[in-house]
Amino acid sequence: MRRLFYLLIVAVLGGLFWWGLHRNPGELKSVLIGRPAPDFELPLLPPYRQAWGERFRLADHLGKTPIVLNFWASWCYPACYQEAPVLQAAWEAYRDRVLFFGVNNQDKTEAALKFIDRFGLTFPQGYDPRGKVGIDYGMYGVPETFFIDRKGKVRYRHAGAIDAATLKAKLAEVLR
Amino acid sequence: MRPLLALLLFLSLALAQTPTGEPPPDLSPEVFKIASQLRCPVCQGESAAESNAGVSQEMRRQIAEMLKEGKSEEAIRDYFVQRYGEWILYAPPRRGVNWLLWLAPAIGLGLLGLGLWRYLAEARRREAELALGEEELRALEHRLEEE
Repeated sequence: MRRLFYLLIVAVLGGLFWWGLHRNPGELKSVLIGRPAPDFELPLLPPYRQAWGERFRLADHLGKTPIVLNFWASWCYPACYQEAPVLQAAWEAYRDRVLFFGVNNQDKTEAALKFIDRFGLTFPQGYDPRGKVGIDYGMYGVPETFFIDRKGKVRYRHAGAIDAATLKAKLAEVLR
Repeated sequence: MRPLLALLLFLSLALAQTPTGEPPPDLSPEVFKIASQLRCPVCQGESAAESNAGVSQEMRRQIAEMLKEGKSEEAIRDYFVQRYGEWILYAPPRRGVNWLLWLAPAIGLGLLGLGLWRYLAEARRREAELALGEEELRALEHRLEEE
């Protein structure tokens, strides 16, 4: 009886240990899921001003089409460099149905412009040198991508470089 | 001439200050006190007070701004909890399942104490069993003296 009791304690502790070892500490659920996307207003980087105006306000675009919000920085290597072409390709394929918006986070303008030039990013990019919007979205670190549905609610948050397959699957979800 | 130079020097120093809208880098201890209760989102085991990561710097700046607006410590903590969830707090709130966390050390110590107490009680019992009674002792002493 007593032996069984000790065995049970060892099993419980061992189980906890096993569970802890196999958990991904980077996998953190965003508290925003299912909640309305926080509004923000940012100055646009120079290449986008002609088409989109001086400033970009999210609220002006919420509730019309789904929105993909991508946080990035030129110093975020290699993750941001991996996903930039993926995002650009998706924007080209979905631009009539989904709005893509990039938030340049805690970066220097020249470095950001160089990055944009390198990948030929044509979706609008806002400039947030302080990283205020990132904190409003509970962002852990660049890159992070948020999917906002047609009703303006956050549906999914992807932490780290996004791959084409995930992007496509999540776009299908917000477009449904 | 000299006062003019001094004035010019003074003005040039004034111009060298950080751009407007940004709080000065030397934040009050109050800011660090609140930041030390918050996790640095991108670090491992570092608070927003110690970390020099960009996001922690911005958190400290925002804390300073909110303090300036007259917000309470609790309101500022809430601000970050709303964005990051309770994960951002270094001390989990004392309610619900979290009590298990807070009580775990006491429970552990209690179990340890119980085990120790039982072990000692058992040891004492065995000692008493083996020990000789008064009469036995006297009889033995008697025999020793006789021999």
